[in-house]
Amino acid sequence: MDILRLEAVTKRFGGIVACKDISFGIPEGRIMGLIGPNGAGKTTIFNLITGVYSLTAGRIYFRGADITRLRPDELVALGIARTFQNIRLFRNLTVLDNVRIAVDRNLPYSFGAALARLPSVLSKERAVYRQATEYLAALGLSGRAGDRADSLPYGLQRKLEIARALALKPKLLLLDEPAAGMNPEESAELARLIRRIHGEFGLTTLLIEHHMDVVMELCEQIYVLNFGVKLAEGDAETVQGNPDVLRAYLGEGYKRAGN
Amino acid sequence: MLIQTLVTGLAIGGIYALMAVGYSLVFSILNFSNFAYGSIIMLGAYVGYYLLMKAGLPLAVSVAGSVMGAAFLCYLNERMAYSTLRKRNAASLYFMISAMGTAIFLENLVYATIGSRFYAFPEIITQQNITFWGASIGVLDVFAIVFSFTAIYMLHYFLQHSRVGIAIRAASYDMQVCQLNGVNITRLVGWVFLLAGALAGLSGMFLGMKYMVYPTMGWITNKAYIAAVIGGLGSLPGAVVGGLILGVLETLVSTYVSSVIRDVFSFSLLVVLLLVLPTGLFGKYLEEKV
Amino acid sequence: MLSYISGIITFSLIYVIAAVGLAIFTGFTGLFSLGHAAFFAIGAYTAGILTYFYDVNFWLALASGGAMSGLVGILIGYPTLKAKLRSDYFAIATLGFGEAVRVLLENLEITQGARGLPGIPAETTLPVAAGVTVIVLWVARNFVHSRYGRAAVAVREDFVAAEMMGINLFQVRLLSLVFSAICGGVAGGLFAHYVSFIQPSMFTSYLSTQLTASVVAGGMGSITGPAVATVIFIAIPEVLRVASMWRLVAYGLLLVAIMVFRPQGLLGFRELSWAGVKRWLTLGKAAGQGRG
Ligand SMILES: Nc1ncnc2c1ncn2[C@@H]1O[C@H](COP(=O)(O)OP(=O)(O)OP(=O)(O)O)[C@@H](O)[C@H]1O
Ligand SMILES: [Mg+2]
Repeated sequence: MDILRLEAVTKRFGGIVACKDISFGIPEGRIMGLIGPNGAGKTTIFNLITGVYSLTAGRIYFRGADITRLRPDELVALGIARTFQNIRLFRNLTVLDNVRIAVDRNLPYSFGAALARLPSVLSKERAVYRQATEYLAALGLSGRAGDRADSLPYGLQRKLEIARALALKPKLLLLDEPAAGMNPEESAELARLIRRIHGEFGLTTLLIEHHMDVVMELCEQIYVLNFGVKLAEGDAETVQGNPDVLRAYLGEGYKRAGN
Repeated sequence: MLIQTLVTGLAIGGIYALMAVGYSLVFSILNFSNFAYGSIIMLGAYVGYYLLMKAGLPLAVSVAGSVMGAAFLCYLNERMAYSTLRKRNAASLYFMISAMGTAIFLENLVYATIGSRFYAFPEIITQQNITFWGASIGVLDVFAIVFSFTAIYMLHYFLQHSRVGIAIRAASYDMQVCQLNGVNITRLVGWVFLLAGALAGLSGMFLGMKYMVYPTMGWITNKAYIAAVIGGLGSLPGAVVGGLILGVLETLVSTYVSSVIRDVFSFSLLVVLLLVLPTGLFGKYLEEKV
Repeated sequence: MLSYISGIITFSLIYVIAAVGLAIFTGFTGLFSLGHAAFFAIGAYTAGILTYFYDVNFWLALASGGAMSGLVGILIGYPTLKAKLRSDYFAIATLGFGEAVRVLLENLEITQGARGLPGIPAETTLPVAAGVTVIVLWVARNFVHSRYGRAAVAVREDFVAAEMMGINLFQVRLLSLVFSAICGGVAGGLFAHYVSFIQPSMFTSYLSTQLTASVVAGGMGSITGPAVATVIFIAIPEVLRVASMWRLVAYGLLLVAIMVFRPQGLLGFRELSWAGVKRWLTLGKAAGQGRG
């Protein structure tokens, strides 16, 4: 069964059609790639799925339920989490606090209890702390827990974003160019990491990535966008063999990445 | 009676529109509410009053002086209170606090040095009436309507046809792209504040003539902010329409209901509007790029 | 002399309570209020009217003042925070709100209009003010160190990312507004029972300005910073007997200067702690000895 389905999704910004008539589904447990040249509309699709933008037309279903008009926080509650292409950490907070904010969702307590700092709050706070450190450990960030988020090197900031998203206990994880700015060794390591957490946390993953080696390594299924419309869809081989894709994007890009 | 009320309403609405346009102009570029705008209007009125009454200059020259004075002060305001924040890319909260600080500083500086006295323009200017279709209409109101619309039209023309104007409009869509295309942002922002200041000077003059000149007269910009929200924050046509609507409705309320609840009415209007039409009449709901 | 000093302290503490409330709101959630004096006024009038006209117990009146302010906070917060709008809308609404409350106070019968309420029982003593201050500081600290405090900070830092962390923007903003309004209301109630006479002209933008200046100078994202700054701002000008308009000139200049030169304020994003004070003191001493 598809965990997520987009049906004829369209988004316009004034005159710009960022994506048009996009339909696809992601089977549960799969890693799917979403690729396409710059400005193709990939991030826009993430923003539509996560409720950051509202749809111009179309519907989105998550585990069979219509989620088209839900708010981001409601979608998170259903089990959708994401990272951002242009990293959006809470920059002035510590690495630990960044993850804590995400963990908080799993251990709720009432406002009144918080103000009185009842014993139940204290024990939940301890649990929050414990869980947050576990997620940091899972991403290899334990040593940096006390550092300010914006003091981390770029690569670690991306990992922290992933840690924060995982801490929401999602069923569907959307990763927006997690390997951006990484060299081939780093991106290979990141690919291994993504595969590991995908299995470990029982995720379904939708991945936007320009590093074709990462995409080809991880994704069983790929959806190709160009100028907001679907160009091709299928497994890695089908997509790589598609002449349209080769012409529009993959051909040059892949060869360059391969060299 | 109704015609008279409508004309008065349009006159005050025209002044609201002037102020709201000045405020929206800054908002559309720098994305923050310039709460110092009221004190620039107040200073413009003082400058105009001084030129007319103390320096004995003709009215037209005094108005011009007030416009230029306020434009300069508004420009100075940006250089001193906002430019560093702009270069630091500070959050809009910081801009708002800085603006608020400027307003408090200027208002109380006038209060502490010039004093809290109310200065009135001579009655020859403020109290003339003409009879029109049986209604007695203030000459000042007619002037306010004519001059507000002329000024707004001139601004519109400037934004549509001059190089700087086109750059300003481009920047209001996307500052970053504008910067990438080699537009000198500091110069551009300077222009925006000069223009907004000029409108402040003109509205300060009219407000001074209508209600007298005093340190806290700038507080009337509250109405301009409300007008801008009614029209849709950041939209210039919205500011004009919002100003006119607010001016006319307020005058109707204070004529036919009670002048005491006029301000409560404006506020309630704002709250109700936010509930039913959060983005205002002309607010293009911009989804910020994520 | 002693009563003069205890008076200044009591007065400062009342403002500390209101400033801590505003600190939670502006410093933690990043929303800007231009009419916070209105919450203070609502608390003052509610509590004052209850004890003056109805002989209600002082503590109950104080709580009612806080509750009434909180309720009004919901009324104004609901429409202005509901739609996911920029904080500008809220700032503008508070501006109109502050005015509207003053107009109402001046024209309602129960508030006796501009004449005000004379002869409210003087129940606010130094121990009372100190006790309430301690409670408010404790509760504020609990807020900050809870999931609600963290959510508020997340919203301030980046509300798009905060929403993607499952945080309900509206709920967080409204809760911190209500909390802040209650603090303002309680402070107002204490104020009414300290000065014994209240009238609408006491709750103008001057008060809002003073509170904002304290929060900004004390440091956003801090509770103790604004608390310390409030004491400095109330006590020093009072002792030096500076005319209030020159105080305001200075506040205005200070706000701009802080935004331009030191946006984090005195203690931005940090709290005053004994360890910190000790470290600072020993550093000072070491420096002093070095010089000596
Ligand atoms: N909030 C917005 N307002 C206006 N236009 C937007 C907005 N968001 C995206 N767009 C436009 O939509 C188009 C698609 O953008 P999008 O960010 O989805 O591309 P992308 O495939 O993620 O590209 P990249 O690989 O560069 O990240 C672009 O033309 C972009 O300018
Ligand atoms: Mg993208």
